[in-house]
Amino acid sequence: MRRLLLGVLALALAACGNGDQTADSATGGRLEITGSSTLAPLIAEIGARFEAAHPDARIAVQTGGSSRGISDAAEGLADIGMSSRELTETEQRRLRQHRIGVDGIAVILHRDNPVDRLSREQLVALFTGGVDNWQEVGGADRAVTVVDKADGRATLTEFLRFFDLPREAIAAHLIIGDNQHGIRSVAGNPGAIGYVSVGAGTVEAERGTAIRLVAIDEQWPTLETVRNGDYALTRDLILVSGAEPSALTLAFIDFVRDAAVHDLYADFGYVPAAE
Amino acid sequence: MLDRVLTQPRAKCRKVTLPDRLAALLVWTVATLVAGMLLWIVLDLLRHGLPHLSIGFLLDAPRDAGRAGGIAPVLVATAMILIVSLAVAVPLGLATALLLSEYIRRGSRFAGFVRHALEVLAGVPSIVFGLFGNALFVRYFGMGYSVAAGGLTLACMVLPLFVRASEEALRSVPDDFRRAADALGLTRAAAIRSVLLPAALPGILVALVLSTGRALAEAAALLFTSGYVLRVPESLGDSGRTLAVHIYELAMNVPGGESQAYATGVVLLGALLLINLLTALLGRRYGAQVQGVRR
Repeated sequence: MRRLLLGVLALALAACGNGDQTADSATGGRLEITGSSTLAPLIAEIGARFEAAHPDARIAVQTGGSSRGISDAAEGLADIGMSSRELTETEQRRLRQHRIGVDGIAVILHRDNPVDRLSREQLVALFTGGVDNWQEVGGADRAVTVVDKADGRATLTEFLRFFDLPREAIAAHLIIGDNQHGIRSVAGNPGAIGYVSVGAGTVEAERGTAIRLVAIDEQWPTLETVRNGDYALTRDLILVSGAEPSALTLAFIDFVRDAAVHDLYADFGYVPAAE
Repeated sequence: MLDRVLTQPRAKCRKVTLPDRLAALLVWTVATLVAGMLLWIVLDLLRHGLPHLSIGFLLDAPRDAGRAGGIAPVLVATAMILIVSLAVAVPLGLATALLLSEYIRRGSRFAGFVRHALEVLAGVPSIVFGLFGNALFVRYFGMGYSVAAGGLTLACMVLPLFVRASEEALRSVPDDFRRAADALGLTRAAAIRSVLLPAALPGILVALVLSTGRALAEAAALLFTSGYVLRVPESLGDSGRTLAVHIYELAMNVPGGESQAYATGVVLLGALLLINLLTALLGRRYGAQVQGVRR
């Protein structure tokens, strides 16, 4: 019994001791990165490549949403925050922004829905409940199911901003959290309409998931149109750091923006920021 | 007594009526549906997951955010977090169970309080444990997202289950054992160490196995405590991703991660089935032993 208790104490001490390793050289040490679940898988992959290039560095990526990333970086709980939405003015004052890429937001329908393009007005009507049957916008006689994102989600914020809608205006039938959750909800309901990252939507549609990315006012959501600016509904992918980032933080941010990791952006369907 | 009344052949009591038959049909249908649901889940998992499963999947590191490669670091991190949580929960839980079964009267006010506290704790949703663990271990104690923080949070979570099951195990040791120990002039501590604990050991093992199963299946409590890092943790201060968190992340955040999520699900299901089998085996042996003692 006593031995067990001692063991537990030793464990706890070991845990505390390891918590605060600090950087002893420019590219050694540990970076804590939290935030956007859209960005986390990409940044984790870039982190793995960074570790391969700098064996002393450890990049720990956690998700939890853009707002969490921003607040963690502001409070110093994380070295870098990941955000897939614009920062508010108060947030901008406390943090340094590093734009790393662009992601489009695509409106998605079920693959069996014959509608393949919608106008801005039609979209607003669909999402606010003005149109509740697909017949009215050229589809089959089928009720519309609006899939919306949960409050605080970056995609929601940017989507509302684009259509200039207040949060309350959306007549949602289903509220979902993560990107994949939205894709699955739409793929499982022939009358559904939702919106997701162009990257995630494209990758899933290519893999045979039953969704269709539709054009908004004849603008097609593809990686190409997001890259050259022909698709308007986009958002910036941002890394934020405290006002005085460490050498390792800066080295990592440079690495994230380096052309050498642009292939990883493509894997997730994002467009790296122009240098 | 009640058992005997209920299992008496109905025909002897009265005639079987139509509503009676309908009720029976309903009960059978519902039971079949419930069993079918489990079968459906398992078959669905196997259908999507098995094609991606191989020895390499268990031994390789993940690539491409988990969409390719294997789950070796995830398995290591899961084991580390489990060990931490059990190393904390077992001594604490055993001490509480001993207190409840050996040191205080069953009906005493303090026993009631402890038991009530454990019941409430058992009913707390695991995401709340996650937030609590994040606030206490990750932030207040400064452990950061780490195996240690995740393990400690899990320990809090499995504690009620472990206490309840090991208290049962201790109580089912016949009082003759305690009297015999008293008659030999053993101190209470000596009696516990050399008589009660060995006698209750199989039951405590069952408690341990049950707690392991509970901890293994947990994702929500770990999202904000042990974190998502897909690497073999180098120390208890490193973040690590468990099987359940890996499934969640692949299914929810990684486009095209679904098939790997299924394959990981099969591994987790296999581990859980193994644990259930272990519980059943231990339980059978335990039951036989207690009966043997009573006879």
